[in-house]
Amino acid sequence: MRRPLINTNTSQKINVSISPSKVSSNKVELTGLALDKRLRQKRSKEYINGITKLDAGGVICSHSDIEELKQTIQNEFPDLSPSQYLIGIISKCYLGKPYVVHTLDLNLDIVKHYEKGESLPASMDRGKGLALHPRYEFIEVYNDSLRAVSENGDVAVIKG
Amino acid sequence: MSSEQSISRANLTYIENSLNSLENGVNYVSNQVDTVNSEVVDIRNNLNHLIQEFQDYVKKDLLEKSLQLAETRIVKVRQELETSYGHYGEVRRRVTGILQAVDVGLVKKETIENSTEEHMLAAPRYWLAPCLISLSAWLNDNKELADKAMLEALRRDSEKTSLFFALVTRRGARYKASSDWLDKYFGLQNPESLEREIVVLIDGFTNGIFGPNARMNCGRQIESWISELSQKAGFIEEQNAQWKVALESKLEELNDQSYPYLKAHSQTWPRLESSLEGAKIHRTITDYFTEILGREITPAKSIAYAVDGLLDTLVSKFDDEELPLRNDERLLSLIIQQNGDNATAQKMFKNENTLKERVSFTQLLTNFAMHPEVSNASIATQKFSIAWSKEWIKHAHDDLTAENRATIPIDIDLEIDQWTGQTQDGSNEEELVSSLENNMEQRKQFAISQVKLKMAHWAALAGGILFAIGGFSTPFLFLFAAACGWYFYSGKQGIQKRKDQVAEDFRVLSEKSKQKLLAALAETVDWRKEYAHEDANASLVTELLDSINPEQYSFSSHDTARAVVN
Repeated sequence: MRRPLINTNTSQKINVSISPSKVSSNKVELTGLALDKRLRQKRSKEYINGITKLDAGGVICSHSDIEELKQTIQNEFPDLSPSQYLIGIISKCYLGKPYVVHTLDLNLDIVKHYEKGESLPASMDRGKGLALHPRYEFIEVYNDSLRAVSENGDVAVIKG
Repeated sequence: MSSEQSISRANLTYIENSLNSLENGVNYVSNQVDTVNSEVVDIRNNLNHLIQEFQDYVKKDLLEKSLQLAETRIVKVRQELETSYGHYGEVRRRVTGILQAVDVGLVKKETIENSTEEHMLAAPRYWLAPCLISLSAWLNDNKELADKAMLEALRRDSEKTSLFFALVTRRGARYKASSDWLDKYFGLQNPESLEREIVVLIDGFTNGIFGPNARMNCGRQIESWISELSQKAGFIEEQNAQWKVALESKLEELNDQSYPYLKAHSQTWPRLESSLEGAKIHRTITDYFTEILGREITPAKSIAYAVDGLLDTLVSKFDDEELPLRNDERLLSLIIQQNGDNATAQKMFKNENTLKERVSFTQLLTNFAMHPEVSNASIATQKFSIAWSKEWIKHAHDDLTAENRATIPIDIDLEIDQWTGQTQDGSNEEELVSSLENNMEQRKQFAISQVKLKMAHWAALAGGILFAIGGFSTPFLFLFAAACGWYFYSGKQGIQKRKDQVAEDFRVLSEKSKQKLLAALAETVDWRKEYAHEDANASLVTELLDSINPEQYSFSSHDTARAVVN
């Protein structure tokens, strides 16, 4: 069994950042095409369920919800270093009008809902059209690519 | 006094006439200016039309010239192939000729021996000539000569010779020898750099030509090649890129008549066009794969026919000496296929990768599946290649689909006669129509406001007032005052006419623009519907690929023995 990256029982305080010091240092860091191969792997059901319930709690997302989401992401990619994680997630918003999409920004630790016509932050805006497509559950935004995740966990990659 | 009156009467007539002719002159000039203006607009339209026609003509002319050139050159290239390597043809025809003659026992063995020796002299450096000697010596039970000739053939081209003898021995039902030759052939192969002739081996495998042992070896070897390549870092990405290029080669351009109003009035059209073309590829790919997978394989009458077919392919299609000319021939045939479009043909040729000397096994699978006519793959091999590549095809297709979906324009810009607007799905028709009408109204008001009295009219008014004041002391000045007043009045009347004309012009323009806008919005709705329909076909490709099982596409149609699973 894999060693957990973050031992949440050691402290009552919730640490919101994914600190490099918490990551196992004895593993080989995936890079380049090996990293691409890893990020193309099918996503797990737990991960997809975790991400898709992003707007279940309403417009305001609590701190603990965001923490839970970040933990879900960490569990999905235990072999990646924090610098290799996605920078955010965009998905369709089911809160109803006027909201159309929402984003989880992992740098700022915030979930934000966007109305129709409202611009997303520059790093996320390129994935907005794709997020609205019914075929994809959500879009993972990386520095150099977008990864569209389908309901069955399949991943499609858009470089650039 | 009487002389003064007669003078004043004479002056009045003169002035009236002059003013009348002046007014006529002004009206005439004004009409002329209007006519010239409308003619300038017509000429500009005609000129634009002419420029477009000229550009089309130049383009068509270039394409025709390029097509003619390609047609002439391809004949030359084929002639050169015939001149330079034509004598190989004679050697090639002998291979199956000898085998079939021996089958029916119609030709004396001495004749065969003599004729093969002649070919050895006529085709220096050619690997097939010693193969023929070896074959005829084998048929004459001359082991020493057979071995010697075989060693020479192996020296000239060990890979083709091994494959050749694997097939010939299989034809003679020498399973052990065939299997040994195949083992030797496999031993020479590197899955990252295979020669094109391996298609003959895969064809033999997929068409069930080899014996059970050789077939099993072959299957194992293919699996080990794929697994070896798969472990290489970057393999998946390389496969995706390879398959993306291959799938994109099936892109078809939209019909020229599609969506004429969006094409004419939307700057977003190029993106809309490429998105729709990208979405239509799902249906094209589904049809392409369904057609291949559903095609029935007609087994050859006997193993001898099947092997002869493969031998023909092996000896006639894969000689590296001929490769540069074969490359030229392929490029020229693509130019002809594209009706002279050099750039597209070059791009297709570059993407095909079918005539490279050495390619990886997975690139070969891609070539077999997507360019069977150039890679000389049989239907069975195409099916096999699709089945083994299905995961890579699926990934490449998923990526292509996502890229296409990411570039669908959300907002569609519209521009009609200086008016601009934006729609997403055509639902904001009322808002856009009202915006267009407002724009036309504002432009009309501005144009009307530009229709003003000229300085001469205002000068006439001022002069009229001055003359009228002067008329109280010098009565005949009233006549000048009247003339000036009349001039001012007629100018005022002309202005009204021109304003009415401007208003009428804008009414017509507004009506026409509104019709264009409504047509463009209707096309927007149609485009969104068509895109959604075509985009939904993406799942057909996935379903089709998911339903394929590689095992079902390895055939055994020529022998009844069962393969023993190790």
